[in-house]
Amino acid sequence: MDYSNLWRQIFSMKKSLFDQGYLDEQYNQLEELQDDSSPNFVEEVVALFFKDSSRLLTNIEQALEKYPQDFYRLDSLVHQFKGSGSSIGALRMKNECSMFKAHCNDRNLEGCRRSLQKMKREHATLKQKLETYFQLLRQVGPRERAVNSRK
Amino acid sequence: MTGAAAAAAERRAIRVLLVEDEEIHRVLARALLRAAGGVVLDEAENGAEAVRRVREGGAGAGAYDLILTDRQMPVMDGHEATRQIRALGVTTPIVGLSSDSLAADVDAFIKAGADDFTPKPLSKEKLNRILAKFNLA
Repeated sequence: MDYSNLWRQIFSMKKSLFDQGYLDEQYNQLEELQDDSSPNFVEEVVALFFKDSSRLLTNIEQALEKYPQDFYRLDSLVHQFKGSGSSIGALRMKNECSMFKAHCNDRNLEGCRRSLQKMKREHATLKQKLETYFQLLRQVGPRERAVNSRK
Repeated sequence: MTGAAAAAAERRAIRVLLVEDEEIHRVLARALLRAAGGVVLDEAENGAEAVRRVREGGAGAGAYDLILTDRQMPVMDGHEATRQIRALGVTTPIVGLSSDSLAADVDAFIKAGADDFTPKPLSKEKLNRILAKFNLA
């Protein structure tokens, strides 16, 4: 089967994820760790991130609605989110987390709320883009992926 | 065999204690340490468990060749775990990890007795630097 057109789409999509700042070099680190013994490593780690991050977004939203606000707890939750995101190279989200933490430090509630909305948007966008990317990768199958990853 | 794998095959297995509460970071660290080769990995999900493992592993004999510890964890954080491990007389290299690399965080780790600090996320390059620094490569 000729996968060349599919691979062109995959490479183009990955390049765009990097060029648009959604992903950074850490994502390449994950791909380098994927091998025959862990053929779905990247997708598994990304799935872990989205599982963690969905829970954290809910917790952050709940923490923001409490009164009085506990900025220490908010900072702690955003810190976890930032760390989790940076593990997969989610650059835009990592940057927005840094902004959020700065707002927590300033006890700027409105700033925190704006950051949360941005984080939710970035989260949804990245999830959709990566789901599409992985769907393409699944079409080529693990054996073809392994051969092409060494090119 | 690659250069890294050959080097790993030559040296004896090194025992690493990873202290980390977040699963995603444990998964990444496990994969990096497996790729480095020649590593026997123990894990603790918080600082208190880490101190217990070090104590039970024979604190004086030095059960571990390297301890990698996160900062923010439930029950006991990385700073306190480092202090308590040092209080046991353990001289094993301890490297603090955190998503923030503020000077205050780094200083707090070093003051607690850590030997080094590396910002998360852990990567092949950061791990190789740590292993080389403590002659574990």
